[in-house]
Amino acid sequence: MNELGALSLRLAFLVSLYAFGAALWGAYRRRRSFVLSARSATYASCALVSVATFVLWRALVVRDFSLLYVAEYSSRDLPTGYAITALWGGQTGSLLLWAWILALCAALAQWQNRERNRELMPYVTAVTQATLNFFLFLLIFVTDPFERVPRMVQDGAGLNPLLQNPWMAIHPPSLYLGFVTVTIPFAFAVAALATGRLGDAWIRTTRRWTLAAWFFLTIGNLLGAQWAYLELGWGGYWAWDPVENAALMPWLTMTAFLHSVIIQEKKDMLRVWNMVLIVLSFLLTIFGTFLTRSGVISSVHSFTKSGLGPYFIVFMLTTLAASALLISYRLPQLRSDNELDSFLSREATFLFNNLLLLGITFATLWGTIFPIISEAVRGTKITVGPPFFNKVNTPLGLALLFLTGVGPVIAWRRATARNLTRQFALPFLLGTAAGITVFAAGYHHFYACVAVAFSVFVFTTIIDEFRRGTQARRALVHEGIGQALGRLVAKNRRRYGGYIVHAGVVFAMIGIAASSAFRTEAQVTVDKGESFRAGSFDFTYENAREVSKPHYAAVIADISVKKNGKHFATMHPEKRIYRRQQQPTSEVALKISPWEDLYVVLGGIEGREAKQATILVYVNPLVSWIWLGGLVMVAGTIVAVWPSAAEKRSLAFSREEVSVEAWLD
Amino acid sequence: MQGKRFFIAAAIVVAAVGYLIYSVTPGTSVYCYTVEEFLALNEPTAGRKLRVLGRVSPGSVQWNAEQGKLSFALVGSDGGGRSLPVAYPGIKPAMFAEGREVIVEGNVESGGVFHADTLMTKCPSKYEAEQPAE
Repeated sequence: MNELGALSLRLAFLVSLYAFGAALWGAYRRRRSFVLSARSATYASCALVSVATFVLWRALVVRDFSLLYVAEYSSRDLPTGYAITALWGGQTGSLLLWAWILALCAALAQWQNRERNRELMPYVTAVTQATLNFFLFLLIFVTDPFERVPRMVQDGAGLNPLLQNPWMAIHPPSLYLGFVTVTIPFAFAVAALATGRLGDAWIRTTRRWTLAAWFFLTIGNLLGAQWAYLELGWGGYWAWDPVENAALMPWLTMTAFLHSVIIQEKKDMLRVWNMVLIVLSFLLTIFGTFLTRSGVISSVHSFTKSGLGPYFIVFMLTTLAASALLISYRLPQLRSDNELDSFLSREATFLFNNLLLLGITFATLWGTIFPIISEAVRGTKITVGPPFFNKVNTPLGLALLFLTGVGPVIAWRRATARNLTRQFALPFLLGTAAGITVFAAGYHHFYACVAVAFSVFVFTTIIDEFRRGTQARRALVHEGIGQALGRLVAKNRRRYGGYIVHAGVVFAMIGIAASSAFRTEAQVTVDKGESFRAGSFDFTYENAREVSKPHYAAVIADISVKKNGKHFATMHPEKRIYRRQQQPTSEVALKISPWEDLYVVLGGIEGREAKQATILVYVNPLVSWIWLGGLVMVAGTIVAVWPSAAEKRSLAFSREEVSVEAWLD
Repeated sequence: MQGKRFFIAAAIVVAAVGYLIYSVTPGTSVYCYTVEEFLALNEPTAGRKLRVLGRVSPGSVQWNAEQGKLSFALVGSDGGGRSLPVAYPGIKPAMFAEGREVIVEGNVESGGVFHADTLMTKCPSKYEAEQPAE
């Protein structure tokens, strides 16, 4: 059975190589039969990688310990759910998952465009299959998922207990989906460059792919933050760790791309810029994988030196060189005649939004690879920690937040004074008032107050937009408010979906600002019955008990919490030792409320009859707003992606249109 | 977009980002060494923020519950040679154990004791097993 998996991978490698060659040859010599054959090969490589993936999955689930990967990441007592997620518990399995998602996306894009974009498709095939081929190369020659164990083992090592968490179980696939989906718009961009069809066809065709990539990257980042918060026990959700940065950077450039393509579609500007952005996004997804796989930068998530690094570097440099060549080759045609008329315009705001997003990406990249740079230049490895990222990215992020309110409503071309007062007077007043109120209420933290002011500003512009739109509809047609609002959104999904995403960003920003500026922390060692205070809460260590479970042994403390003298909660932080791995973990006790999270970690229990306990307490304000904001962002994206009634109709017609287009060709 | 305004906009943002990075970097720099490198160091490290990677020397861990202080010694990866005493005013992280690799961040004031304000255990990899199979 396992031989079948290994064989499928090798066949897929050959097939994808063939698809790459046949597609390019077919496009070059204008031989349709080769292009069609390359298309079939795309489906075939997808089927083959799927077989390989299912073979490994099967081995994990039936606990076939003759495979090294299964022996390392599964065990007999591991719940079946986690045996399934063990597919991405280790390196080679993750790469296989990556290749599989890519093969699926490539086949899906191929099928979607089977009767469209005839000129572009051969190059799309070539790019996706070349990328797939690279990952298959790694899976066959460098890190083989079907490697056998040197000697038989009775039981596997099991999955790392830290990964036995529902959030962690779905975080990597979501992130990979986001990473891999970027390949499709990138492939179309390359195809546009190669064919010289530089209009916005490639952007329109891949709009859903772009949004899907952004959607999954957003979810992936949120799940990662959620996991860090729940599982790592240091009271925070984001540590600017290289792995986190690796996932954040493509999200930033894809956010920029989502916005700048609007300018190309509406104004035919930023054509070079969009090409650069999508190439950059693709490179950053590969770079992200490189960072987490190569061990080039050490972090708390210790990486193993795996020998994958050089291959990734070669692949990235090749991609970079090829893309740069193509873009410079097409530069004369990419130039657009349209000029930026004024800094006070929607175009300019979008441009600044893009520049800021890229600035944050660059600062993050710089901070992430600073150890490498400093070691090369000065001989000493110097890292910059979270303070660097916070200090650099906070002002840039706040400026970006401000533009989130300005961009969607400011006039195109050139905003007049009248336009500005009409759109922004009320939001500006409310925002300023909110900022001052928060400051006067005793929250003396400059950035936090600015964040609140900008958030209120942005939120007011969004509400105002919904109000205006609804009113305009009601002035024309007889509708109730709810109905008018619903139809307004349904008819302009992209626009209002975008507003909903922005509203989510606002919630998340408030949560981030409050939780980073005003968190309270206390670490104490107390006797049984003794109390201590953190924020406006009184904590009392009541008791501790030992619990024995099949997988682990635990000590659980009972801590009662009072607020203003009244009972508020009883919390049970835990310390576990997983038997198999002999690894202690902390189970955080969390009491979530809309205004603050109580986050309690048990440090240790000492003395006879659990006399003394060391307890770590964080009071984190408004953290749940971040998750709420994330949910709103995800919901907004779904609204934007959902096909509108008009689009559904045009999809039904597109077949005929396409045949006409093909005939005209 | 190739116009003058585009470049002005780009210049403004590049200057802002450049200035921020330039001004923030010195204050947030942390010098990284392994225990061996650090103990063999000739230059003075006072006033610098340091990060040292080492293994927790077996038998060196002391936990003072009254003061909430943890002290231990770091040794090189081979376990032998000189060691670096570390004082950390905080609780043991979940994965802290004798013989484990840890990263401490802090500074050396006087007397050669490393005052750590952060103690990180290397997370037993998200991605690879503890002993990678050869």
